[in-house]
Amino acid sequence: MLASFHTTRYLVGSALTGLWRNRTMTGGAVVTTAIMLITLAGFLAINDTLNQMVTELGRKSNLIAYIRDDARPTHVTALIKDLRSRTGVREVRFVSKDDALAIFESRFVDQRDILDVLQSNPLPASVELHLNDPAVVPGLAQELQAMTSLFDDVVVPLDIVEEIIGISNLARVAGTAIIISLTGVTLFVIVNTIRIAVFARRQEIEIMKLVGATDWFVRGPFVAEGAVIGTSGGGIAAIVLVALYAQVTPAVTRIVSFLPVSTDAEFVRNLAVFTLLVGLVVGSLGSYFSVRRYLSV
Amino acid sequence: MIVLQSVTKTYGEVRAVADVTLAISRGEFVFLMGTNGAGKTTLLRLISREEEPDAGVVLVGGVSTTEMSSTALTRLRRRLGVVFQDTRLLPNATVSENVALPLRVRGKRRAEVEYRVSAVLERVNLADKEARFPYELSGGEQRKVAIARAVVAGPDILLCDEPTESLSAERADDIVDLLLDINAEGVTTLVATHDLGTVNRLRRRVICMDDGEVQSDTPIGSVEWPQATNYSS
Repeated sequence: MLASFHTTRYLVGSALTGLWRNRTMTGGAVVTTAIMLITLAGFLAINDTLNQMVTELGRKSNLIAYIRDDARPTHVTALIKDLRSRTGVREVRFVSKDDALAIFESRFVDQRDILDVLQSNPLPASVELHLNDPAVVPGLAQELQAMTSLFDDVVVPLDIVEEIIGISNLARVAGTAIIISLTGVTLFVIVNTIRIAVFARRQEIEIMKLVGATDWFVRGPFVAEGAVIGTSGGGIAAIVLVALYAQVTPAVTRIVSFLPVSTDAEFVRNLAVFTLLVGLVVGSLGSYFSVRRYLSV
Repeated sequence: MIVLQSVTKTYGEVRAVADVTLAISRGEFVFLMGTNGAGKTTLLRLISREEEPDAGVVLVGGVSTTEMSSTALTRLRRRLGVVFQDTRLLPNATVSENVALPLRVRGKRRAEVEYRVSAVLERVNLADKEARFPYELSGGEQRKVAIARAVVAGPDILLCDEPTESLSAERADDIVDLLLDINAEGVTTLVATHDLGTVNRLRRRVICMDDGEVQSDTPIGSVEWPQATNYSS
């Protein structure tokens, strides 16, 4: 127990000493890690903005179903209730015949004479659906079109919806692919930076093994050093990201106001925590595996 | 204590050690002589299990080094003190940190480490250089630090690879006297060298190697002329 306390103290001390004495290599590894994590986190932010844009675009897809005059009100009410519970449906609005007329009158104030010619209100009642996900539109439209006893017609700008779905899918696939590639490159660069740092000290590892150190005794300080390098790089990345968000985002939002850039503190905080965690995990594991190859002495 | 039975080690086409059989008893002081490439260093590396034999068995304390688990190997290494030909001191560690390493890996308390490091540095006359880095020391001093590191934890066996190479006669004698002192405490000492003068002066057991094979094994002797001419460098 006492020995393990002394050993732990030695490992921590050794890690800090190692970092300081190899400070050029340490500094290089920290800066590389920070740059890679800033790049990755920056792209995650861009991807998030892109996703939000696509979601906003999806919210603009509407569907209008015109109700037959002879449709039973109880059936319409039941259907509206059902539609409200569907996923992808943001809002269901019932527009009565009177509402439709009022809307018409408000829009075409100069052409009220047209209505005066008619004996009764020719405008049908309708159900307007505002959707979150454009992907549900075609299926829903088909379902409503099949209800011929309730609806005369279902109006849906399918070409626009399909375009939105296409853009949305492309953006998601491309975003995911780029994020995966960039994550791979980030991990590769960080791990290799650490490997170079470990390679420079391979003789130290061999000597420690030859004087009777256990694998964990050798590995411990290197893993601790990797964790410190990764966390420092992640910390710098987190600070830079928070500062960039504070300085740049308001300007971007002002200049390109249509861009739904994430400005909420939670998003930025999550991004900062993400970079810290990635730095810590990749730094530690990178060191763990880099040292392993020199332990077989 | 150390037994090699028909041990062979090759590196590609090169036969570094060929069918070597020998035994070294507890507390012996043995010189291993031979020219460069005779197989001395490989033999020491086989004993410390830096290398594994292609054939034959190396026994240290009755245990075969080839069948050792990682834990057993660590235990073996803790019984050995090794002075490498190139010293292999940690360049970024001070003299005292280098010497303390074998004690640190054993989890010794700081006070004990400081006491033993200080004592061994006193013994090799480097007490005043404990805070220096290896590059600040002469070749002879670096060898002494390597010896101090090898003996600080009280090994049963001391393996020295060319400990006097490139040193002046006076400094070489210093080192050899130190090794004799250590041996006098019961540490089995195996010294690879081609320093003929030292070998003949001390008249200890001498194992001569050439081309990976044991040419002669003289219990208490000297290397005689003209055989000696091969070793003078």
